[in-house]
Amino acid sequence: MELLCLGLNHKTAPVEVRERFAVGTSRLGEASLALLDLHGVAEGLVISTCNRTEYYLAAEDSSHAVRELENLLAKLAGSDASPHFYRMERAEAARHLCRVVSGLDSMMLGETEIFGQVKQAYQLALDAGATRGVLNRLFQRAFTVGKKVRTNTSIQEGSTSVGNVAVDLAEKIFGHLKNSEVMILGAGEMSRITAQSLVSRGARSIIVSNRTYDRAVELANEMGGSAVRFDAWEEILARVDVVISSTGSPHAVVRPEHVERVRRARKFRPLFLIDIAVPRDIDPAVGEIEEVYLYDIDTLEQLAVEARQRRERQIVECENIIEAELAKLDLPGL
Amino acid sequence: MDRWTLVAATVLSLIAGAWGMWSVHRGHRSRWTVVWMAGTLLCQFAFLGLRGEARGACPLADRGEVLVFLAWSLTLFYLLVGPAYRISLLGVFSAPVVFCFQAAALLPGMLDSSPEKIAGVNPWHETHSATSVLAYGALALAAVAGVMFLVLDHQLKEHHLKSGLFRNLPPVRELLVSLTRLLRLGGFLLTIGIVAGFLMPHDKSALPHLVAALAVWLAYLVVLGVHGIRGMTGRRLACSALALFVFSLLVFAFI
Repeated sequence: MELLCLGLNHKTAPVEVRERFAVGTSRLGEASLALLDLHGVAEGLVISTCNRTEYYLAAEDSSHAVRELENLLAKLAGSDASPHFYRMERAEAARHLCRVVSGLDSMMLGETEIFGQVKQAYQLALDAGATRGVLNRLFQRAFTVGKKVRTNTSIQEGSTSVGNVAVDLAEKIFGHLKNSEVMILGAGEMSRITAQSLVSRGARSIIVSNRTYDRAVELANEMGGSAVRFDAWEEILARVDVVISSTGSPHAVVRPEHVERVRRARKFRPLFLIDIAVPRDIDPAVGEIEEVYLYDIDTLEQLAVEARQRRERQIVECENIIEAELAKLDLPGL
Repeated sequence: MDRWTLVAATVLSLIAGAWGMWSVHRGHRSRWTVVWMAGTLLCQFAFLGLRGEARGACPLADRGEVLVFLAWSLTLFYLLVGPAYRISLLGVFSAPVVFCFQAAALLPGMLDSSPEKIAGVNPWHETHSATSVLAYGALALAAVAGVMFLVLDHQLKEHHLKSGLFRNLPPVRELLVSLTRLLRLGGFLLTIGIVAGFLMPHDKSALPHLVAALAVWLAYLVVLGVHGIRGMTGRRLACSALALFVFSLLVFAFI
């Protein structure tokens, strides 16, 4: 019995190719079972996420099984996508699966979502009766490796995007965000992404203020918040906890006197200001006010870069864990 | 025997602090700190129980006993407040303070080697002593929470966010809530202590002590009043909690 992996991911195929091979979660078990119809294939499993689709097979003759699978995929996709596919066999395929489960092959290095996605795909294939001895042992071992990598290394620590860094900082200041109100100054894309991250972690309400009021209303509706006219944002400052500013103004929009005026009304509560505009919207002198925590785009980006670098430094350690665990795996297909 | 229970409590608090700091340095949560501190509390109970039996009253007759009572109170409030608010790191910051109080109590001359029974125990005097020291335990923990806030505030302000300590510190808002509640609790207990102090029979020599206690109580009252009515920045609240506690320690060390 030989182990084989055929797949494509964000590194080998653009989204317009990946989407042709994507399999919905509800159909993963069925798709895994369909692989057993291929001649000589004893076990099969399909993993499909937004960044990858991979087929794992245990077959008597791997080269024959690959040809069969490629033909099937060519029929499904309607054109030849083979240049986008990678093919791995035996130990290389097992190593690849461990890297995938550990988040080492993900677009965002060390992300944890993939672990759950692979586990779900495996469970669906198992329930459908598409996996047996070889793939069951391989995937169980891969999950052990994934857990070990996350426990014994810091591959998942720190936020690697500006939005997530901002959310982590907000949580460090306010704890649960369910009691926190957020104001967005300027309805740009970066503001929207950062605010969405805050909403996804439970921020209580979003207030959008923009020079073009209609755009503020549009963004507020999209995020389930409310809009205020740009000349009214100073009043709102008295009650919000987080301000995300990205107005495109050539001058500072938020100045120390604006915050000084509302300090008493705020009872000197902590205020988190996120300035993602270039040129900056918030006068750096605002950050000198005691209860204000001010972060600009460079600081947030720097924190994200440092987290990415920290994760990259962990790769070797992760690979060592994978090799050590694979050495313990005594599979006939390896 | 009582001295050995105090030695055990001191060693356990030292382990709690050292273990916690080592864990935090490595970027981990110090889950064992609460266990070491619980062990410290048990030893403190044993010490205070033995001394109380020997005195036939609340064991607050010499400086050593006062310090151990204070350490016990701080440990007790930490165990009540810390896990409830999921601020495990509070133990890492509290343990060194507990250690210092107990180590100071072990210094020669601080503890009577053969404690004598206290004649004519007065309930107001007992209430005054016990609630006052209990209050200072809560206020000591408030000061510890204040230090934690100041560390976190500095790290957030200066964008020093890489340390294990930063990752393990509780959020600013949680620290400020805990700090305020501890100040209120300490203030409430101190009020009972002050009232009992004026009701207990006392001669003129006790007056400076009571006036100092009243001044400290008023100072805490002003801080809580300003914070509740007008509002106060976290930094000022934390500095006030810390400064007032150090001030009260110094006052009672000399008066």
